[in-house]
Amino acid sequence: MYPKWLWPVFAIPGVFWLLMLFLVPFYAVIGVAFGGVDPIFQSPVPAWNPLQWNFDSALNTLQGFLPGREYWQVFLRTAEYVAISLASCLLIGYPVAYYISRHAKKTKGILLVLLILPFWVSYLMRMLAWVNLFSPDGYIDKFLIWSGIAPHPPDWLNGNPVSVILALIYGYIPYLILPLLAALDRIDKSLLEAARDLGASPFRAFFHVTLPLSKTGILGASVIIALPMFGDYYTPNIISGSPRTSMLGNQIDIFFHGGPQPSVGAALTLFLSVFLGILMIYYMVTIAKAQKEIPS
Amino acid sequence: MIDNTFERKRLLAQLREERIARRKLLKAFGSAGLAAAALPLLGRGAFADEAGKQAGPGGLALARPDRPVTLPLYEDPIKSGLAPETGGTFRVFNYQDYIDKNLLTSFGKLYNVDVELTTFDSMDQCITRLATHGVAPDVSDITPDRLDQCVAGKLIKPINKDYIPNLKANIWPSLHSPFYDVGSQYGVPYTIYKTGIGWRDDKISEDIPNLANPWSIFWNSQKYSGYVGVLDDARESLSMAMCYRGQYDVNTEDPAQIDAALNDLKALIPICNPKINITEYQTLPQGNMWLHQSWSGDLLGAYVFYLPKGDDGSHLRFWGAPKGKGPIQNDTFAICSTTTKPVLAHLFLNYILDKDVAYGNFINFTGYQPPQVSITGDSLLASKAIPQNLKNVILTSDDAGPGSMQEMTLTPKGQALWQSAYARFNSGT
Repeated sequence: MYPKWLWPVFAIPGVFWLLMLFLVPFYAVIGVAFGGVDPIFQSPVPAWNPLQWNFDSALNTLQGFLPGREYWQVFLRTAEYVAISLASCLLIGYPVAYYISRHAKKTKGILLVLLILPFWVSYLMRMLAWVNLFSPDGYIDKFLIWSGIAPHPPDWLNGNPVSVILALIYGYIPYLILPLLAALDRIDKSLLEAARDLGASPFRAFFHVTLPLSKTGILGASVIIALPMFGDYYTPNIISGSPRTSMLGNQIDIFFHGGPQPSVGAALTLFLSVFLGILMIYYMVTIAKAQKEIPS
Repeated sequence: MIDNTFERKRLLAQLREERIARRKLLKAFGSAGLAAAALPLLGRGAFADEAGKQAGPGGLALARPDRPVTLPLYEDPIKSGLAPETGGTFRVFNYQDYIDKNLLTSFGKLYNVDVELTTFDSMDQCITRLATHGVAPDVSDITPDRLDQCVAGKLIKPINKDYIPNLKANIWPSLHSPFYDVGSQYGVPYTIYKTGIGWRDDKISEDIPNLANPWSIFWNSQKYSGYVGVLDDARESLSMAMCYRGQYDVNTEDPAQIDAALNDLKALIPICNPKINITEYQTLPQGNMWLHQSWSGDLLGAYVFYLPKGDDGSHLRFWGAPKGKGPIQNDTFAICSTTTKPVLAHLFLNYILDKDVAYGNFINFTGYQPPQVSITGDSLLASKAIPQNLKNVILTSDDAGPGSMQEMTLTPKGQALWQSAYARFNSGT
């Protein structure tokens, strides 16, 4: 028999990690949002004591999200970019994950390695490579002109939302495929066999068995990529650099980068967290429901 | 129990926002038992003047080219005639690629020390890291608009100019006693540059310098859409819009003027879809940008380091506004309060003002002009260090000093106005 304390001990590193690298920094952001600034250095002075919180700056920032106010348009733009990128990632990534999970036999290992391959190169470098590919004298434009597809290719890097969305898809898709693959792998194959035995066509089996059972995987993978996408600022910076494609992360960057308004940056971060928290709660409720539906 | 630090900072912040008078502040400090702690911050008569001018960091007066400020001394400089420290590591804190490492190595050999360069990305980062003791350098690059902040926060030490004869011998007379630090008590000028317009004359057909209002080229650049850029800097970008409108107080805190500048900047978006970045030193010579708000030093950097093979750079152009009609900025070097080698730090300041060292650093590495008497457009042209088309990148002593336009320290309220306006431009809303 093992002592009672043994298994909980295993959770200590995880709890410590969560405390030190998430809860404490997150509380610091809250403290900055409701705190002040050093009168000399303009650096944030977090208000650690909730009794000292000053809500003025955060409320002003929140009002900025009302239609027509300063953050409304940039918030809509960010939500639009993330929604399109996420949908595209799912449309591209799901079939890839499905193929690897169901149909790749001997090649599964190689395909997995190929999926991980992009992680070998830093995100920043991959984005910079895109700048070269899409520049007016880059390979993409050369190909489009040579092939006759587009004798006058679009200006990809000139505040073009399509380029930013494509870059987001390219940058984040590996993070979607891997958890999706794990979720698809976990689906009991005998359920599919049962569906086929009961006369379901491959398509019906997919839509009535595989897809519903992979819902939690889809949601999990979506959450994993949607969260960083919402806060992304370097992708639009590198790919476009235009005010037309600026995202909410760029606003946070401006206010946190220096100056007397770190509380605005922190309040924007909190707003984003609350918004994403709503999506997260939906994900958790869905997971809980799915677990309840599993017969004991 | 009162949190003294928090309370002290709150009271000082109130003072700065002019919500309480000085007398009331002292009373408040006294009642909180904080007078002793706060008085050093208030300085020796360094409060804002009686005419109601607003106070800057720590209650120090805000310096302007026509309103010089003597920064307070919280300690005496080191005595003259001391021997330099040897051995160990001498730490230099600067922007990346803003000082030639070979010169640092030479300085180390000269005084038998290892020289270590630590870099920062922005002046905000520099100040934060100095203030939080994230670094402990001996000397640091500081811009004049942050010098008062460093003095108020005691991040830098006063200098003894006996160790720095090159200041008077080699540096422009207009910067011997600059308006932001009368008597050069804390820093020595390192580089100087104008903010103007950089362009390629093989792509831009207009004769920009001879336009009635050269700044207007940005607002008439429809045909160059996609190849136009604005500096990624709140002060610089909004100042450009102000200059375009003939509003030459680029230290204004008037919300109406800042809003007008913002509206003018926003008007650029449908006109030329500007890019917001500070990479014009690379994108102009490589042809990715044709017209860019530019720092003069970046045009020389572009010419020296970033021209494509076979390109002689003859199409690069720069225009800087005449004195008082466009921003001129400079960097300084100061001795940090964390220095363990104060004598050597003085000698380093003298070293970077040496005319050969400064010239080498300028021509071989940074592209940013040191305000050296010996460096003139004619001499650089004669030595073929610069081409004729970029001769006007080189500034003269007359460009600096009274009557010039320099973006300087604002009150926090003013900074917030500028920053919020810039954020709106950046978001395109």
